Amino acid sequence: MSTPLRVMLIDDEPIVGKRLGPVLEKMGCQTETFVEPAVALNRLAEQEFDVVVTDIRMEEVDGIGVLERVKALSPRTKVIMITGYATLEVAHEALAKGAFDFIAKPFEPRDMRQAVAKAAEALGLQMPEAAALMVEEILLTEESGLPE
Amino acid sequence: MTSIPQNQPPAVGAGGQAERTRLAERAEGIRRALVERPRFSLRLQMYLGFLAAFILSAGVAVALVYNFHDMENKIRFLEIVNDYVMEVEQARRFEKNFLLYGSNLSDALDSVFQAEQILTRNAGELAAVMGPGWSQVMLPKLRGYQALLERLGRLQGAAGAQGGPARQDLQARVRKEGQEMVSAALALLSKEKASLSTTTRRSRQILIYSLALLLVVLVLNAYLLGIRMLGSINRFGEYANRIAAGDYTPITPSRRYRDEFTDLALAINAMIQELENREAVLIQSHKMRAVGTLTSGVAHELNNPLNNITLTAHVLQEDYAGLSDAERQEMIADVVQEAGRAKKIISNLLDFARETGSQLEPLDLPHLLQETIDLAANQIKLLGIKIQLQSSDNLPRVHGDSQQLRQVFLNLILNAIDASAKGGKIQVIVVPADEPNYVAVKVIDFGSGIPAHILPSLFDPFFTTKGRGKGTGLGLSVSQGIVAKHGGRIMVSSQAGQGATFTVVLPVTTIPAELGEGRHPEPANRAKA
Ligand SMILES: Nc1ncnc2c1ncn2[C@@H]1O[C@H](COP(=O)(O)OP(=O)(O)OP(=O)(O)O)[C@@H](O)[C@H]1O
Ligand SMILES: [Mg+2]
Repeated sequence: MSTPLRVMLIDDEPIVGKRLGPVLEKMGCQTETFVEPAVALNRLAEQEFDVVVTDIRMEEVDGIGVLERVKALSPRTKVIMITGYATLEVAHEALAKGAFDFIAKPFEPRDMRQAVAKAAEALGLQMPEAAALMVEEILLTEESGLPE
Repeated sequence: MTSIPQNQPPAVGAGGQAERTRLAERAEGIRRALVERPRFSLRLQMYLGFLAAFILSAGVAVALVYNFHDMENKIRFLEIVNDYVMEVEQARRFEKNFLLYGSNLSDALDSVFQAEQILTRNAGELAAVMGPGWSQVMLPKLRGYQALLERLGRLQGAAGAQGGPARQDLQARVRKEGQEMVSAALALLSKEKASLSTTTRRSRQILIYSLALLLVVLVLNAYLLGIRMLGSINRFGEYANRIAAGDYTPITPSRRYRDEFTDLALAINAMIQELENREAVLIQSHKMRAVGTLTSGVAHELNNPLNNITLTAHVLQEDYAGLSDAERQEMIADVVQEAGRAKKIISNLLDFARETGSQLEPLDLPHLLQETIDLAANQIKLLGIKIQLQSSDNLPRVHGDSQQLRQVFLNLILNAIDASAKGGKIQVIVVPADEPNYVAVKVIDFGSGIPAHILPSLFDPFFTTKGRGKGTGLGLSVSQGIVAKHGGRIMVSSQAGQGATFTVVLPVTTIPAELGEGRHPEPANRAKA
């Protein structure tokens, strides 16, 4: 068994971390969630993460600040930005600064799983649990057959 | 829901219905008060003035015509008397000849006859001047003289020579009578001459005095007309200034009668009402624009609870079986709470967007400002700007339309946000103003500032430095209109690059009793336009 994917999740909305933490854990990631970006940045100095998921718009330090810091500390870390309406310009800026992907609010757990799996793939790490989960998910949606 | 009639401003909803009815009733009351006064038009005053001048002139003309007629009579009389005197003097000359040489008696009698003829021929004219008793004065003397002459003639014929006491006596009587007759006629002549010159003098005096009187009448007329017209024109000038300053209170009667200026007042009142309607539409449409600006912040902010609900609901769906009851309960509680949060985010804005009738009420300015800041909070958060509210304790009371003033402060805050750089700071301060009886609200930013050369046009409608589609340039103009209606002012001080301070001063309420009747607060010293 390979080392688990280390994921850091930063969003000043506590519910995001509360719900996504377990979701990512289930995927087989080792997840740490933060509400305050400043605390998260301190943690980054001590520990390298494979993937950092951060909200773009936050008080104190915003997503761009986090991105810059992460890239400075560890260039190989993939950063996924959570964007909202009206922050598209910032999203472009983030892309130029080396962000890996975006997830637009509001999103579902599935979107997060896909984005993290893609990042893991890009890092050359396997995620058996993630793959299994995704197959299961596809089956689940087909079974329920809910029309859009 | 009933449809809104076409001719009404579309932005005006049902909220202002009662308010509008009340305003319409008030306008009708004022109209009636203006119209239901006795009419005394300027035109009438002009006619009366000219009529007075005309009557005076006509009176003068009549007096002069009468006087001339009098003079004519007198001149005619003088001529007659003159002729008469000449004949009588002629008679006396013949009489003298007769007495000296015994000749010419028939000539003398002839002259007397002529004189008598003159009198009888002109009996009418003489009577006109001397009255009906004239013949008692002149004719008897003439006849007496004639009789004496005739007696003298007969005496001559009988005696043939001169002398004789009877003749002497008769001669003396003839001389005396003749003299008296002449002197009486001469006296009459000079008396009538004097009377003629009096009449002439009177004509002159009538002319001079009536000219002076006419001048007085004309000057008085011009003065009264002038006072009335200039007074009204000045009054309407003041109205125009007042309206330009945004005070839309209708013109009320200020005199006891109505005239052409009343028609003007009615037209201006109609115009004021139309202006007020338009301003209401403008205020409302600019408000909707501000609401539009705020929606980007709201939409962004709304994403957070929506995201929380989406995530929670999905996790609940995916893991339902594997979750404990407590966990499910917690998740459901989160959903409920986040739904409530979403509702609050939009209800603030919807409350503000909804049209309410204009209503004057006591205001808690710090509270009102906090509400306004909350309204813009999402926008402020989105741009990472810090906003700070400071208020001094025991502020004096202010009355106003909270909805409209919220719009004013929102406009100022949105301008400050636009001017501020990302992460900038905005201060909102409420303090008693420097001038007594006013409260000041200051919105201070530390942004781009305003260059001196555009300061004078800042409050002009449609003046904007923001790009097409970004600013209408109506924010400050609308705000100024609202503040002026509250009896206040907006002032600005700024230096390019140093930020800007917008100060709204509002009058402190001094007479709260007046406010119930829909009048705007009348501050102790209202700002003059
Ligand atoms: N706080 C400020 N700092 C710098 N400039 C300002 C400030 N407030 C107003 N201005 C200037 O005044 C102009 C007019 O403001 P106003 O609010 O009337 O219109 P606007 O903001 O351009 O348009 P709108 O209010 O419809 O969005 C602005 O375009 C801006 O140039
Ligand atoms: Mg503006």
